[in-house]
Amino acid sequence: MSSRVAHAEEDPPPVPASAAAAALEIRSLSKTFPGGRGLIEADLVIQPGTVHALLGQNGSGKSTLIKVLAGVYQPDPGATASVHGESFDLGSAAAADAHGIRFIHQDLGLVSSLDVTDNLRLGRRYASRWWLSDRKERRIARDLLQGFGVDVDTSVSVGELSQARQTMVAIARALSDGDRPGRLIVLDEPTASLQREEVRYLFELIERLRDSGNSILYVTHRLEEVFEIADDVTVLRDGRNVVSRPVAGLDHDSLVELIIGRPLEAFYPDSPAPSSQVVLRVQDLSGPTVHDVSFDVHQGEILGIAGLLGSGYEELLFLMAGGEPRDTGTIELHGRPIPSGDPGAAIRAGLAFAPADRKRLSAIPAWSLRENLTLPALAPLRNLWLSDRSENRDAAAWLDRVQVRFPPSTLFSLLSGGNQQRVVLARWLRTGASVMLLQEPTNGVDTGAKHAIYSAIEETLASGTAVVISSSDAEELCAICDRVIVMNGGRIGVLLEGAGLTVERLLVACMKDSSTERNVS
Amino acid sequence: MSATEISSRPADQATPSLPRPGRTRVNLGFSRFSGLYVWAVIIAIFSVWVPSVFLTRQTLISLVSDEAVTAILALGLLFTLAAGAFDLSIGQNLGVSALITATLSTVAEWDPWLSALVAIVCCTIVGLVNGLLVARVGINSLIATLGMTSVLLALSQVISDQQFRGPVPDGFRALTAWQPLGIPAIAIYAIVLAFLAWYVLEHTPFGRKMYATGASPEAAFLSGVRTSRYLLLSFVFSGFAAGVAGVLLTSKIGSIGPTIGPSYLLPCFAACFLGTTQIKPGKFNVWGTLIAIGLLATGVKGLQLVGGQQWITDAFNGVALIGAVSIAVVASRRAAAGRRRNGARAQ
Repeated sequence: MSSRVAHAEEDPPPVPASAAAAALEIRSLSKTFPGGRGLIEADLVIQPGTVHALLGQNGSGKSTLIKVLAGVYQPDPGATASVHGESFDLGSAAAADAHGIRFIHQDLGLVSSLDVTDNLRLGRRYASRWWLSDRKERRIARDLLQGFGVDVDTSVSVGELSQARQTMVAIARALSDGDRPGRLIVLDEPTASLQREEVRYLFELIERLRDSGNSILYVTHRLEEVFEIADDVTVLRDGRNVVSRPVAGLDHDSLVELIIGRPLEAFYPDSPAPSSQVVLRVQDLSGPTVHDVSFDVHQGEILGIAGLLGSGYEELLFLMAGGEPRDTGTIELHGRPIPSGDPGAAIRAGLAFAPADRKRLSAIPAWSLRENLTLPALAPLRNLWLSDRSENRDAAAWLDRVQVRFPPSTLFSLLSGGNQQRVVLARWLRTGASVMLLQEPTNGVDTGAKHAIYSAIEETLASGTAVVISSSDAEELCAICDRVIVMNGGRIGVLLEGAGLTVERLLVACMKDSSTERNVS
Repeated sequence: MSATEISSRPADQATPSLPRPGRTRVNLGFSRFSGLYVWAVIIAIFSVWVPSVFLTRQTLISLVSDEAVTAILALGLLFTLAAGAFDLSIGQNLGVSALITATLSTVAEWDPWLSALVAIVCCTIVGLVNGLLVARVGINSLIATLGMTSVLLALSQVISDQQFRGPVPDGFRALTAWQPLGIPAIAIYAIVLAFLAWYVLEHTPFGRKMYATGASPEAAFLSGVRTSRYLLLSFVFSGFAAGVAGVLLTSKIGSIGPTIGPSYLLPCFAACFLGTTQIKPGKFNVWGTLIAIGLLATGVKGLQLVGGQQWITDAFNGVALIGAVSIAVVASRRAAAGRRRNGARAQ
């Protein structure tokens, strides 16, 4: 990559503040949320004709920055921004569009049942107002794709294309409103669900776009991609800029250091040492994105599941709990097999599962706390009268245990994220489960509530329950888990435990090993 | 099935009030009992307007015994709506039940009780087929039961041979002819069935899981509810209710015409949806539905007595259905908006 080397020679780190006509220059951007840090005086300078990587852990402010740029969020007053030297208003979708900033979000926004032509032409001005000619539209779509060097059949429905081709169609669509060089294209984790060889196609497109004078802001979790494609990099941590510099001169380890940055806080409680008795045994488990996964869960232990999006770590718990039928594999709880695709049987056997999506999957928001608490283990049918009063008493006791100070008749939807999560925990504790499967248990939860959730999890361990947590928060996993399984490409990449379980190693395992593992699989 | 989301399913929270746990708070507020007030106003209007014909025992008796059939049908429909699906075939299914009973007991000269049993079994099987189509095959419930309606319409024409069937034997008519304490027997049957439906829906794990299936199929499934089984059973219940209602209707009126049935569909849906604004706002519930039936029937009856034409019934029921659903939808949106405005994120 000669261009990067040349670039590095011109701009010794850090990037000089006053690059004449930066493709995008944002200064002192802050965004405060009620009860949460968003961005604090963040800067971002993207040189024209470069690929600029934006890195940071979950919650570091990456997505906030993108959303302010896209006009979804309003920034706090005081921020300035300019595009090619022209100042523009942050927080306005129209202004971003007018200044040639284009967004390709992780959810591509394509209609998978429509063909490529329809997807490209939807919402654009059609060639004729009175007669929609398939032939004309198809030609326009084909020309458009060829202009970007994308080789895709325009008559195929988008759902049949590979992920990478879908992403390329989405990029072409975002840039289909005329030929204007010098645009800024924001790609938000475009490779999250791509296979390794597919990433190559996408990178070729990105390089062509850059070489024709566009600039690219590239958000990713995968560090090896930064070295492959990016010219400059900005790292955010806790809403602040940590560094903004050319990629050249950095190596993998120094980048991980920059991302993690601070020492771990003594914020997480110590968990009791697990006994060696195996409670849950998973063997050769396979599903759509999971391949031949085997592991044991011991009594009183917290087992973490980590990985990048698309590595299978999101699906693993669904397969275990019966939320999705598994293709192959056995799951034994205390030696008894659990049938596939039957959550009811899993619950009766002693397996509890709290999915990440609280509003849609973990609970019924329009129901009261009482009804939500008792649903998984309603009084058995021989109990001939479901009494509101005794149900309320039962629910109140459980709410008290997880320190939720609301009457059981309160609607679930009225609670804050932290309280909702605690109610969800209580509902599964109530079933007397011997293994709890928790997906992102502290997602969207503020710091204080996090602590309460950790304490509640600790308490359950004391009674001999085992907990499996899948989380995208590496610090959380390292702090509360005894062992962490890192998923790569649908398989177990590495198992970290004891002194080997550190945030750095975990992040490296998630990001670095994925490529080699993928090639094998 | 997200079918109910089209219309109502107003997020089950028209009242974000927080009653104390333990005791049921007696709340005579307009939000939960508005139907009773409206009903009282309707009665008052017609009492003043046409007192000589409206305020009579005969009017009351005919009102109660006519609406008992609608009520029983609506009780069955409640199960399907609670499970988040629609049973549009319920009206025609009632017609098939009545025609089977009347035809077997007159033309075929079967024992009328046996005929009634056969009718109820047939209608329950129709419900089962609906349930299989929706829960197992996975057809949208509106489409499946719309198709079933047409099949049942054809079946009614075959059974009735386009003729009136009847009169059924007097012994069978006695089922609904007696009036203990001056109350028509059919009304008593309806009340008993209402208590039964209320018990099953509100006070058994079975009913709770039925509601869970309708409220959020995915969350219910992950909570261990076999949602597709409950969805299927809900159609069996509505088929059974249609069978029972058809049998009682035959006993009550004696002779059954070939086009009976569809006229019960709309009042039934109107009552169930209007019922969601009463007693337990946002939730399909038994007592709210009964209040709604009483309110609608009183209105229709009054208009008829004033001298209105037959079309008034149809117009009234249609307007009531649209109005009821509008009220429910707007009320829930207000409640949600209110929460957002207050930032009522309980901390």
